[in-house]
Amino acid sequence: MTDTQFDIAVIGGGPGGYVAAIRAAQLGLKPVVIERENLGGICLNWGCIPTKALLRAAELRHSIDEMADFGIMVGEVKVDLAAVVKRSRKVAGRLSMGVKHLLKKNKVTVIAAEAKLGAAKGGLRQINLSNGDMVSAKHVIIATGARARALPNIEADGKTILTYREAMVPETMPESLIIVGSGAIGSEFASFYHDMGVKVTLVEALERILPVEDEDVSAFVQKSFEKRGITIMTGVKLQAVTSDANGVQASIEGHDKSLQASRMILAVGITGNTENLGLETTKIKVDRGHIVTDQWGATGEAGIYAIGDVTGPPWLAHKASHEGIICVERITGQKDVHAIGAGAVPGCTYCRPQVASVGMTEAAAKQAGHDLKIGQFPFAGNGKAIALGDDGGFVKTIFDAKTGELLGAHMVGPEVTELIQGYAIARTLEATEAELMATIFPHPTLSEAMHESVLDAYDRAIHF
Amino acid sequence: MTAAPVTAAAPFPETKSSDKPRVFASPLARRIAADRNIVLDRITGSGPHGRILRRDVESAAIAPIAQTTAAQAETLQAGTIQQGDSYLVANSQMRKAIASRLQDSKQQAPHFYLTVDCVIDNLLEARKALNVKAAEGIKISVNDMIIRAAAMALIAVPEANASWEGENTRLFRHADIAMAVAIDGGLITPIVWAAEQKGLAALSQVTADLAARARDGKLAASEYTGGSFTISNLGMFGVREFAAVINPPHGCILAVGAGEQRPIVIDGNLAVATVMSVTLSADHRAVDGAVGARWLQAFKGFVENPVTMLL
Repeated sequence: MTDTQFDIAVIGGGPGGYVAAIRAAQLGLKPVVIERENLGGICLNWGCIPTKALLRAAELRHSIDEMADFGIMVGEVKVDLAAVVKRSRKVAGRLSMGVKHLLKKNKVTVIAAEAKLGAAKGGLRQINLSNGDMVSAKHVIIATGARARALPNIEADGKTILTYREAMVPETMPESLIIVGSGAIGSEFASFYHDMGVKVTLVEALERILPVEDEDVSAFVQKSFEKRGITIMTGVKLQAVTSDANGVQASIEGHDKSLQASRMILAVGITGNTENLGLETTKIKVDRGHIVTDQWGATGEAGIYAIGDVTGPPWLAHKASHEGIICVERITGQKDVHAIGAGAVPGCTYCRPQVASVGMTEAAAKQAGHDLKIGQFPFAGNGKAIALGDDGGFVKTIFDAKTGELLGAHMVGPEVTELIQGYAIARTLEATEAELMATIFPHPTLSEAMHESVLDAYDRAIHF
Repeated sequence: MTAAPVTAAAPFPETKSSDKPRVFASPLARRIAADRNIVLDRITGSGPHGRILRRDVESAAIAPIAQTTAAQAETLQAGTIQQGDSYLVANSQMRKAIASRLQDSKQQAPHFYLTVDCVIDNLLEARKALNVKAAEGIKISVNDMIIRAAAMALIAVPEANASWEGENTRLFRHADIAMAVAIDGGLITPIVWAAEQKGLAALSQVTADLAARARDGKLAASEYTGGSFTISNLGMFGVREFAAVINPPHGCILAVGAGEQRPIVIDGNLAVATVMSVTLSADHRAVDGAVGARWLQAFKGFVENPVTMLL
């Protein structure tokens, strides 16, 4: 290896790490990305992207059931599971190649190895690589991501009890499935497997599914899931889980009957990849599996930063990317760099119906002491949604009554994950209800529901 | 339902172009500013291209009506003064920190106060002589000499270099002296670590650097956290003497008044001398009256015989 000295070393080539490296290169620095597995990280290889490919297949499969409503008659429908999974892998592979190309184009050095922090000498941090080499850099960004969190009483064997990783490459469809955890990952798998003909039971320890979303949204998704035939159990804790060749049995605290299914998916959160990095030789603090940083990604050790899933919540790819950018801009002393504000990270869940939100829920806004103006508009009142044959769901907007600040927006229904950025931009620009009302939303689009929801908050909705 | 009154068609008002440069501010920032009566063109925006955002308005602890506008001046002249006319200024983080620390100090630390007068003619002369000899760029201030004297006194009377910690009393080995620096919107106390080990030339460089960076807001947290003793000097404002609130966790704070010519009595004769009154506020939990008195005696000794503190 010729080059061993860099301005910035990024450990981990996921959406946090590779974006940070490209931004560093744009700013004239010499960055290196050290990745032990696949460029693009979990998001691109085992998370966001391949699951979207699977969900698209499920959505198409579901739409065939509705074809008759549109006057289209379809013959016998068959799903080739192997081909569905193969396409999902191909999509992931294509994007990983894309990241490789982007890094090359930006002249970012990529090293395929595991990295371990070494000594700091003369303003440079040494990094020992698993291939025996050593590199050094002025600044180090830890972007090693996270993996599925295990439950103390349940061990994922990868065959009967799965994590997201095995769940997205099934060789056969189980007859029945228990999904533990109803956050974005659990709800997406519930939606996918149900559409693929599996009997799904979704188990949540908290009182409602999608617990970080607004209560109205949780209630709507639960109703919609149950109408489709997904069994939902909330406020339940699994006691003991056993598995054998026939499947999995789970007993529930306070219940006599145990749950039985062919397989189980664990989707109970994540834990940061903080091991084998040499953190113990530094002043870096790890709290409940995640590295502690300030709002700029600085850790307790000078010159070492951490971004993305290995740090605090929310654990989302777009947050990791944004953190990577502000961390590098902060290191290089750029002007007008601002830490991520509270509630600025939108969240999307791609189950059917889709869920998207930004900012505070109604409960959180009330707790924060705001006087609220709340608007809600159903897609049943939206022409485009009715024409699409997909008019379930609503848009809810929450304003501060005094200042007109858009405190939060919550959407459930058709393509809302593509719509939420409208409200995210409004929040970044600090628009009030007046600017949102004064904006012309094109007709006929789903986005008109966003306009109407704002109008409704001030009792001015036209179509409801 | 009654119909809304429909007024007769009136020509649209003409839009007037203003000569004033456009202020770039977010709608939310404008609304909050209007609500709090804050004038936007006095605020520096922190957003892209200097755009004023909500955080800028909220942190603008500027006095919105501090300078009366022409319109307000007119109303005042017309004699229509509103009773209780006032406005709110959002408290900055620094303001809140000062409030909570000093409130804790006054409520928890039993303060007592000791005042002595120091004749500083010798000190002023020594300073003049030192500055003549000093290297280019070095200018020793009276304050530097006070810090030096306080540091020497803390080493001479180590019991006064103490901090109350409940189960224990912490005794400091060095004179880590915090100096109060007034800055925009409050004050900050950067620390001269082990001040007893610094000669006056070195001391003056350290204090000048700390004060300058304090005013620019460029101090690292480690530079104003900790320390064992505080000095607050209001002499430059002509304050004769005052009693300062102890800066926790320190055990003592020395309030320094102005050096001024006063009549004094020497051997039954009236004379004129330059006198500086200083008041020591001490936390009685950690420092007793006699200890404070001995410390002041030592301090006065160094100040009045500056040769002894140069050793």
